[in-house]
Amino acid sequence: MTKEELIAFEEDIATEFNRGKIRAPVHLYYGNEEQLIAIFRDIRPEDWVLCSWRSHYQCLLKGVPPAQVKAEIMAGRSISLCFPEQRIFSSAIVGGVLPIAVGVALGIKRSGGSERVHCFLGEMTAETGIAHECIKYSRNFGLPIRFIVEDNGKSVLTDTRKSWNQPVLSFENSTDPLIVTYQYTTKYPHAGAGVRVQF
Amino acid sequence: MEMLALDSRVLFLGQAVEVPGTAMFNSLKEIALERRLEVPVAEEMQMGLAVGLALQGKVPVCIFPRWNFLLLAVNQLVNHLDKVPIMSNDGYLPKVIIRTGIGSERPLHPQHQHVGDYTEAFHLMCKTVEVIRLDEPGQIYPAYEKALQRTDGRSTLLVEWGDYHNEK
Repeated sequence: MTKEELIAFEEDIATEFNRGKIRAPVHLYYGNEEQLIAIFRDIRPEDWVLCSWRSHYQCLLKGVPPAQVKAEIMAGRSISLCFPEQRIFSSAIVGGVLPIAVGVALGIKRSGGSERVHCFLGEMTAETGIAHECIKYSRNFGLPIRFIVEDNGKSVLTDTRKSWNQPVLSFENSTDPLIVTYQYTTKYPHAGAGVRVQF
Repeated sequence: MEMLALDSRVLFLGQAVEVPGTAMFNSLKEIALERRLEVPVAEEMQMGLAVGLALQGKVPVCIFPRWNFLLLAVNQLVNHLDKVPIMSNDGYLPKVIIRTGIGSERPLHPQHQHVGDYTEAFHLMCKTVEVIRLDEPGQIYPAYEKALQRTDGRSTLLVEWGDYHNEK
């Protein structure tokens, strides 16, 4: 999908949400389309993609038909989208997918498989204990996994750097091949699409 | 445990699975070492590893010698393993066998952070994971056999009595 198609998809979801047609939270992306398109050039159909509660773009770029993604969102499952056929798994719990991603990678290695695991996480999640455990374990055992840290500077409205009193985050300038980081600014709030929806 | 090991998908993971350290080790020492994975003390990561291994087609036997240690893995057990079938419209059905124990009190009482039975609480928290307390030795083999062979897409949490490893 192109940058324009990704933006149009989220705008369609925003419209549906603001009209009160989605009776569950949504977390929308914006401003990171070019970075994600570039990252997905290295992701093959047989690879696994694990995401957080904000995963519409990953699902689309991994090849899930847009109508199928939208149907799941309309059904209220935006924050934990799972598409086994495309090997996508998401969790709405901070850090929840990290050890699961490591387990998938461990299973691939023990089976002698050639698939890889791509685990997306926010910059606040990247500062948690579970992230450090999982990255250390993956690095030390040479697992077929990489972690993509998506830095929008905040967790909900909490400033990550201020709350940790840490101007430069742990993986911000990392040269570790296991870790990819990028920064972006979104036009959407943490949840929803800007209009207060009262159900 | 030998019965479980006959299935090539099964992998035993936890602390004191490759090396001695808990009463449960005695039931694992005849299993081939390549089927046992000693993991760091990182309980949530351990449970998540088991979920991921199961998504990848393995049947992990994830061992926490006492309930008190399993409490550190509750996020992965309750928010993830238990909810994955629901979240994914039964698209993902990871099969994990979790083995834990009610901490032994005899001959040494390890005090209150190492004993206790939380079976009923986990019954209430889990919607898909079946929680079974093994009160008598005759229950053990059939319960593990069912946990391995079940085809309903559910994982199983089996609770042993630490004191019975010596007494029954």
